[in-house]
Amino acid sequence: MVFVKCMFQGIYSSLILFFIPYGAMYNTVRSDGKAIADYQSFALMVQTCLLIVVSVQICLDTSYWTVVNQFFIWGSLSVYFAITFTMYSDGMYMIFTASFPFVGTARNTLSQPNVWLAIFLSITLCVLPVVGFRFLKTQLRPTPSDKVLLKIKEAKKRPPPPSPRRHLRRTSTRRSGYAFAHQHGFGALIMSGRNMRPKSPFATTGTFSPNSDKHKHKGL
Amino acid sequence: MKNKTSFHPQGEACPSRCPDNSAFKQQRLPAWKPQLTITAVLSTFFLTGMFCLSVGVCLILSANSIKEIQIDYSDKCSDCSKLRENSSNWNKECHCSVNFTLKEDILGDVFMYYGLQNFYQNHRRYVISRSDAQLLGRNVNNSYCAPFTTYQNGTPMAPCGAIANSMFNDTVDLFYNLNSSVIQVPLLKTGNSWWTDKNVKFRNPKSYNLSSAFAGTSRPPYWQKPVYLLDEEDERNNGYVNDDFIIWMRVSAFATFRNLYRRVRRIRQFADGLPAGNYSFHISYNFPVTKFKARKHVILSTVVWSGGSNPFLGIAYVVSGAAATLAGFIITAIHLKLRKRKTYFQK
Repeated sequence: MVFVKCMFQGIYSSLILFFIPYGAMYNTVRSDGKAIADYQSFALMVQTCLLIVVSVQICLDTSYWTVVNQFFIWGSLSVYFAITFTMYSDGMYMIFTASFPFVGTARNTLSQPNVWLAIFLSITLCVLPVVGFRFLKTQLRPTPSDKVLLKIKEAKKRPPPPSPRRHLRRTSTRRSGYAFAHQHGFGALIMSGRNMRPKSPFATTGTFSPNSDKHKHKGL
Repeated sequence: MKNKTSFHPQGEACPSRCPDNSAFKQQRLPAWKPQLTITAVLSTFFLTGMFCLSVGVCLILSANSIKEIQIDYSDKCSDCSKLRENSSNWNKECHCSVNFTLKEDILGDVFMYYGLQNFYQNHRRYVISRSDAQLLGRNVNNSYCAPFTTYQNGTPMAPCGAIANSMFNDTVDLFYNLNSSVIQVPLLKTGNSWWTDKNVKFRNPKSYNLSSAFAGTSRPPYWQKPVYLLDEEDERNNGYVNDDFIIWMRVSAFATFRNLYRRVRRIRQFADGLPAGNYSFHISYNFPVTKFKARKHVILSTVVWSGGSNPFLGIAYVVSGAAATLAGFIITAIHLKLRKRKTYFQK
C-alpha cells in the first residue's frame, strides 16, 4: 500500500514537473520579444522546478527544525544557484567550450517573471495535495501517536486543577531506621525530602541517585 | 590506544569517553516542530487559492491584450512548395505574396516571427550536430558534425553540422498599402538575439577581412551563399555573428516554435506601431517543408510582461486557485463534522 502511494505521488509529481513548464514555454517569448522556448532554457526551468519542489518536500518531512536543518536546506538551494550561474558564465565557456555550452541561459531565463510564476505553480500543485492528505489522515484515521499529541494539546489548553492543600503529617524519625540499623539505612533517603508530599506530582522524578557524591558516606 | 599500556595510573579517574556537553553534540539544539494544525492548513489553502486566482486573472487579461496576426503560408504558396519538393530546383527563385488586413491599429512594439510546425529541432542527433568551438572562431576538427563536416575533396564546411546546414532561409518583407501606393515597412534585422549569444558564444575568426578569415572553407551544402555573405551591409551582422544564424542555432525545445525574425522600426508612419489598413507579405520561398509535412507561418505580434499570447499559465493558475479554495472548503466541512461528532460523544 505504501509502495502504491509512493508510486502515485511520483507519477503525479513527474507529470506536473514536466507539463507545467511545457505549457508555460509553448509558443512563448521573453518580455522583450526574444526567444525563451529553446531547449536549454526549458531544461534549466524544469531542473529548477524540480530542485525547489524536492527541497519543499524535504521541509515537510522534517520533524524537528534545528539550525542544522535550516543550514542544509537553504545551503543546498543557494549552492545550486551558485553552481548554475558559475557553470553558465562566460569565463567557463571560454575555457571549457565543449563542456559548458549553456552559456547565458541562466541569466536570460531566470530573469523572466513568467518562469518564476510557472515554478511557483509547480510547487503549489506538488505540495498542497501532500499537505491536504496528511492533515486529513490525522483527522480521519489518527494513529495512536496522533491521538496522544491531540490529548496533550487539549490538556495544555485547560489549566491544571489546583492541588488540594493538606496539613502535612510528619512521622517520627526515631522509628524509621530502627529495623535497618546494621545498614546505612534510609537516612539519606529521608534527608533528601523525597517522602515529603511534593506540591506538584513527579517534580523530583529521577533526581535521587544513591551513588551520587552528595549521599556517599565516606569511610563506612 | 598506544599510550594506554599495562601501566595504569593510580588514584586518577579514567578519561571520560562521553562527547562534550554542548548543545550541538548532545542533540539539545533549540528546535521547532511543525505541526499540521487546522488553522495552518486552512490558511495555507485559502491564501494560496486567493493568490493563484488573482495571478491567473492578471495573466489571462495580459495574454488577451496581445494583438497577433498569424498566417500559414505553406498552403498559400503551394506552387512554390511544389517547386521546392524537387531539390534540383534549388537555384530557381520563387516568390509568393500573402495579403491581410488590419482592422485596428497595433500600438507599441511589433515583432515579426517565422513559425514552424512539425519541425523537430529537439531530435537528439540533430541537437548535438554542431561545433561550438568552430563558432567561436577557433580552428578545430569536430567529429560531432558528421556527416556535415567536410566535403569529399577535403574542404571543411563553415559552419559545420546539421543545425547550421538546415538554416531557415526564407526572406519575408512587409508592405503597406497607403493611398494606392505601396510602401515597404522598415524593419530591424539586428538586436533580435540574446546579448550573450551575440557577444560571447559566437565570434568570427580573426583576420584582416571577413572573406579571408573563412579562406579554405566552403558553405554547407544546403546554403545558397557562404557564411561571410550573410549580411554584406553590416559588418557586425556578418559571418557567424549574423542574428538570423544565431537565432536558428539556438534550437527550440518543441516541434512547434517561433523564432524572432525582424522588428518593426518605429519611424515615419510607423512611429506608434502598425496603422490599420491593407498589408502584404512578399515572401521569397526557399525552405522546403512539404516532404515531412511541416507548416510555415509568419506572425506579427506585440509582447507583454508575461511573455507571448499563450494563455496556458493564466488558465492553470485559475484552475489551481479554484481547486485550492474548494479543497479548503472541503477540509473545513470535514473538520466541523468531526468536531460535532466528538462533542456529541463527550456529552
